[in-house]
Amino acid sequence: MAEVLLRVEKLSKTYANGVQALKNVDLEVQQGEFLVIIGLSGSGKSTLLRCLNRLQEPTSGNIFFQGQDVSQMQDVRDIREVRRQMAMIFQHFNLIPRQSVLKNVMMGRLADKTLWQSFWGIFSAEEKRQALDNLRLVGIAEKAPVRADQLSGGQKQRVAIARALTQKPTLLLADEPVSSLDPATCHVVMDYLRKINQELGITVIANLHFLSLVRKYATRVVALKDGEIVFRGRPDEITEEWFRRIYGEGAQDVAPNDL
Amino acid sequence: MLRRTIFDGVLFGFLLSVLTAAVLAPTEEQLLQLGIVSVWILIFFALGCVLSGALTRLRVNTLGAVLFGPLAAAEPEDRAWYRLFWKWQLLVALLAAFVVAVVKTEFSFIELFDQHGFAGAVRLFKGLLNPNWEVLPRAVLNIVETIFMAFLATSLAIPLAFVLSFVCAKNIMQGPVARVVYFVLRTFLNVTRSIEALIWAIIFSVWVGIGPFAGMLALMIHSVASLAKQYSEMVESVEEGPIEAIESTGANKLQTIWYAIVPQVLLPYISFTVYRWDINVRMATIIGLVGGGGIGTMLVQYQGQAMWREVGCIIAVIAVVVWALDQASAHIREALK
Ligand SMILES: Nc1ncnc2c1ncn2[C@@H]1O[C@H](COP(=O)(O)OP(=O)(O)O)[C@@H](O)[C@H]1O
Ligand SMILES: [Mg+2]
Repeated sequence: MAEVLLRVEKLSKTYANGVQALKNVDLEVQQGEFLVIIGLSGSGKSTLLRCLNRLQEPTSGNIFFQGQDVSQMQDVRDIREVRRQMAMIFQHFNLIPRQSVLKNVMMGRLADKTLWQSFWGIFSAEEKRQALDNLRLVGIAEKAPVRADQLSGGQKQRVAIARALTQKPTLLLADEPVSSLDPATCHVVMDYLRKINQELGITVIANLHFLSLVRKYATRVVALKDGEIVFRGRPDEITEEWFRRIYGEGAQDVAPNDL
Repeated sequence: MLRRTIFDGVLFGFLLSVLTAAVLAPTEEQLLQLGIVSVWILIFFALGCVLSGALTRLRVNTLGAVLFGPLAAAEPEDRAWYRLFWKWQLLVALLAAFVVAVVKTEFSFIELFDQHGFAGAVRLFKGLLNPNWEVLPRAVLNIVETIFMAFLATSLAIPLAFVLSFVCAKNIMQGPVARVVYFVLRTFLNVTRSIEALIWAIIFSVWVGIGPFAGMLALMIHSVASLAKQYSEMVESVEEGPIEAIESTGANKLQTIWYAIVPQVLLPYISFTVYRWDINVRMATIIGLVGGGGIGTMLVQYQGQAMWREVGCIIAVIAVVVWALDQASAHIREALK
């Protein structure tokens, strides 16, 4: 069996406004998995991912990542190192507008930069080469000099993936990576995510909505409902009935199997 | 409720004060007794508040109730204006304010059309419209000084305002200590900004002596405060997404500001800065009047000697330069959009 990369124990998150977004979540992720988290909007998927890399502060519970307890880290430098190792991509891509694609990708290296280097934007030839390699990996090396805001949605998400790869991560957190893309582009992006999962051995945790995508790409599925895990299993174990239970009775509408 | 009472209280209190002043006709000496006067004013204000409450009881809509709600009584659509209490209230208050203003400014048609004074004005306009172009070289030299004074003030203000803008942005300053710093700096800048550049110029002309340096410092202080405010509003309105993305690469706070926020605010910053320079040139001409150097100082010298033809020339130069800069800055800002 592969070794455990991430273990989440009794993780809870209560926001300042009193919303209990996560309630005692337990989760184990093996090295090399493609874990998909499903659940309605507001079920706590984003909160879970954002607690893992401490973009949000967990209220209680533990997060063991490669043997270290991320939830207990005090030193911001340790937290930053964890963030570097857990790269993240987002629903709205979150590239820096008005900057070139190459520059956006090289931002994945910021964690190792001194203030002086960051201030002047000094990146070595080696780093530039790596950034270009990663762009090539997601098939848009030719866009390197283009301004990031001039790309289409699918291209932006691929740039975001390249930026994530430049961090040399062991884990990739993908928060609804295809939710603002059209169905065709959706598969292109998901295919690249699978590629980096299988070829580079990077573990992926992705929030997804469509059952068809879950079945096609996930190696394991976890479902969240109101901040609690209500299903764990293989993608083929998630039946229509389960799906309705997770997504409520209107599930027909959100489960287009014809994607 | 509270706002209605205060508003009506001030309005009625004002009317009562005016009436009392008209009846008692207090002397200047008496009006200068700040303590007594404030007691009177407070009494009038309190009476006004009581009156407002009483009218509400009587189901009469006061102006405060119409503005801030809640209405004391429903208001039929078709009621004629002169049958609405609050319209009378507004009318009377405005009239009273107008009368007081006329009295206070010693408004006088007699002086406006006084034979002697009128002739003086005619002489002045004749001079202005017939400029003496001999002082043109000096005027040009001085306006160049003014332009560069404004330029230096703006340039020196940029880095200060740039740094301050992040420290004065709510979305950056999170956490208890940061909040205190944020609040203190914000207040400090608000106070600084509310003091006109002209006042700063007077302060600095005492401090460093009359001349362009004092004017430049005055403009700089004012620019720092104004730019920091505008800049920080831009920082507060940036998109959160890129910030999260850069943070999640493991970047530190400064890197996040530099890579996620600065690219988003740079263009608006430049736009504000160009506009500020434009404003500063205009202000610089005024600041010269109180000893801030540049063309304003020259203007004041000729004006003091009633040399209106020379003043005319200077005003023409100022008008041309201000107009040109205004145009230039508008075009640049348009292009930056
Ligand atoms: N920053 C926040 N402050 C307060 N409440 C939040 C915040 N972010 C999310 N929430 C709340 O937490 C719950 C879970 O949200 P989220 O994790 O974004 O769910 P999902 O990603 O599954 O749509 C929701 O009820 C949401 O309103
Ligand atoms: Mg979400």
